[in-house]
Amino acid sequence: MDVLQSLLIPIIDLKLLGLIALGTFAGIYVGAIPGLSVTMAVSILISFTFSWEVYPALALMIGIYMGGVYGGSRTAILLNIPGAPAAIATALDGYPLAQKGLAGEAIGIVTVVSFIGGFIGILALALFAPLLADFAIRFQPRDYMLLAVLGILLVGSLSGDSLVKGIFAGALGIGLGSVGMDPLTYTERFTFGTDALRSGVSFVAVMIGMFGISEGLMQLHTVNTAAVKQKIGRIIPSWPLVRKHLPLGLQTSSIGTVIGALPGTGGDIAALIAYDHATRVTRNPEVPFGKGAIEGLVAPETANNAAVGGAFIPMLTLGIPGDAVTAIMIGALFIHGLNPGPMLMVEQPDMFWFIVSALGLANVFMLIFGLTGIKMFVKIVEMPRAMLLPVILLLSIVGAYAVSNSLADVYWMLGFGVFGYFLKLYGYPLGPVILGVILSRLLDDNWRRAIISDQESLWMLLKGTLASPLSLVLFVSVVLIFVSKTPLWGMIFRKKAG
Amino acid sequence: MLKSVIGAVVALGLGALPVLADYPEKEIQGIIQWGAGGSTDTVARAITPHAEAALGGNIVMQNVTGGVGAIGLNQVADAEADGYSILFGAENPLLYKVMKLGDKDYSDFVAINIIARGVPILVANVDAPFDTFPEMVEYVNANPRAVKFGSTGPGGLPSVVTAMINSKTPLDVTFVPYDGDGPALTALQGGAIDVMPAVLGAAIEGIKGGTMKPLALFDIEASPQLPDVPTIVSTNPEFEEMLPWGPFFGVFVKQGTPDDVVTKLTAAYAEAAKNPDFEALIDGRGFKMLSLSGAEADTFLSEWQATTSWLIHDAGLTKASPEEFGIAKP
Repeated sequence: MDVLQSLLIPIIDLKLLGLIALGTFAGIYVGAIPGLSVTMAVSILISFTFSWEVYPALALMIGIYMGGVYGGSRTAILLNIPGAPAAIATALDGYPLAQKGLAGEAIGIVTVVSFIGGFIGILALALFAPLLADFAIRFQPRDYMLLAVLGILLVGSLSGDSLVKGIFAGALGIGLGSVGMDPLTYTERFTFGTDALRSGVSFVAVMIGMFGISEGLMQLHTVNTAAVKQKIGRIIPSWPLVRKHLPLGLQTSSIGTVIGALPGTGGDIAALIAYDHATRVTRNPEVPFGKGAIEGLVAPETANNAAVGGAFIPMLTLGIPGDAVTAIMIGALFIHGLNPGPMLMVEQPDMFWFIVSALGLANVFMLIFGLTGIKMFVKIVEMPRAMLLPVILLLSIVGAYAVSNSLADVYWMLGFGVFGYFLKLYGYPLGPVILGVILSRLLDDNWRRAIISDQESLWMLLKGTLASPLSLVLFVSVVLIFVSKTPLWGMIFRKKAG
Repeated sequence: MLKSVIGAVVALGLGALPVLADYPEKEIQGIIQWGAGGSTDTVARAITPHAEAALGGNIVMQNVTGGVGAIGLNQVADAEADGYSILFGAENPLLYKVMKLGDKDYSDFVAINIIARGVPILVANVDAPFDTFPEMVEYVNANPRAVKFGSTGPGGLPSVVTAMINSKTPLDVTFVPYDGDGPALTALQGGAIDVMPAVLGAAIEGIKGGTMKPLALFDIEASPQLPDVPTIVSTNPEFEEMLPWGPFFGVFVKQGTPDDVVTKLTAAYAEAAKNPDFEALIDGRGFKMLSLSGAEADTFLSEWQATTSWLIHDAGLTKASPEEFGIAKP
């Protein structure tokens, strides 16, 4: 009864309902504009909603969060500029679809699967929160390291024609990600003694440059080509299409929920690992991955929205943030006089159910707002290139500046845009660079933590890995995926078959 | 509510216009040295609306992170000394010089308010085979290198507390570095590390909820929030000479800011620190309210700098001697 009452709070209170709707709507645009992030929006809201009651403040934040995670896909599909790091994988297949005149269809399917992913994440939060939180905090440094290795294996499917070029690009990304002051020892790495490099290269700036500017420069080659006419037929995907991808969507939603619940990872890594999963389990995609495969949209978009519900799991059960946004929300709860921690669910269970309910509503609003106005957005891609390119340039510059109000980030963005253009020109894939930048810290920090924890002995690390069921599963997955791509695997299986 | 949202947006827009003749006549930039959601951020964002009310102006808060807080500090130091850029900082800048992280510290600033001080506490994983500080020392001595301590890099609270412990009872443990005390306490609860020196505020909810075990409070008196947790001096009185010690949060403006501006800001923040809601937040998070300004704040800062720099210098963690910067040994 109490649960039902708490669940009903945001539904029957029109003010809260309105705030969730407003938040979700605003979130979609915050998410869609590169450089503006949900993290930023929510921290501004802390000051803005300071004098409000806690429920309205949370309602607005939750709306922004849900809408923002989804919104990142919009510019990824239309302009090849992911609105947020969690939408990088979406650009890989979404943008090729837009180039084929299928932008409307791509946005339609992304909206529906985001809703499904979001729903699974919220369901997991409502039903299994204590269980999943307990599982998530048991991830040891070596497990995070193995997870990062699992992510890096995605280089294989992002490489396109040449694996060597893919590996080069991935290694470049990992190198870029390690620039700056090392947070574990406070030693400067690759900073050449300059202050500007001390806090590292903003990877959002790298992302905007590499995706947006380099694509814009590529299009200068064909600036007189007429833009692709967009087919505006069916926007809402047909049920058979949804049903076909539902099994994959459910798998990637589960991946997203768990990775979202892990305190050290969020929606960006969830989306990449889900994309990797999709490339492996999809036997015969109708269109190859990277050229506009629907599976390449379903996997990351279910996963990053499922990660939202996932991120609330450790936050509400233990007071441990699941990602950067929930970390800020913990601060917001403190300011509103609550004490998020293991006792929150015991002392204030209504807060838990209120958040579950608000997330559910935000998810529904996301579906509604996501499916309206698509036809108008799709027109962007139909603009003549001579008009579209300045828009891309402007959006990239504003986005890079917005990251931390710093001109240095604009220069980085432009520099990496030009660099990315040359990489593209010589056939080097850009996906692995961004993948490397995102995973660099996760891999490097946790590798060091793992080996330090085991008294700097590889043997002890290996023993520990084999002794823990979780580490063992991750380790075996990494080995199997790796071996399955080598000639060795073919030799063994052909022999068995013969 | 929608109306009040629109109202507030309009008000923010109007606030940007120069309508007041006196300070503040435009928006004030508030630079928070640390990331959103952290202790410095929470305290800064909680006190500022009360100070805005007392000041009659707008303070726009922004997190400028990186370089152990040096990026944010330098941004305020490079701005005009007109009171329109204020810094919300923690204790770290007082160690920049000896850690070679920067050539500026709070001596380049005027302290508006040293808001509060944190209390260090030693917490352990609930399954750790010891329950008190002396038991831990005994266990560590019997099992060298086996116990894993969380750390957050030289100069951080864990490194200072560890230096205190080592100056009295050298411990042979393994230090596992984390990116802040939040992630380290998470790792503690998951069993990746065994012991973590943390600020009470970050650990208090976990202790109350039974997800971590308190070993000793590093203070001379017990905390009103956790009266049952023993202080370190109750078992090991030799620590008393170094205590009380703790990280702190403060509000600063650049040296050279006009006196009337400093006076106004000081009055506003002193008033804000008295707000009952803010006091409740500080108490609830296990901090100790200080609200120091003027000469009191300067004494606090210089004593803190002397004690801490020499402590970590003697522990071999510094990159330069405090003597080089004229920091006298206490």
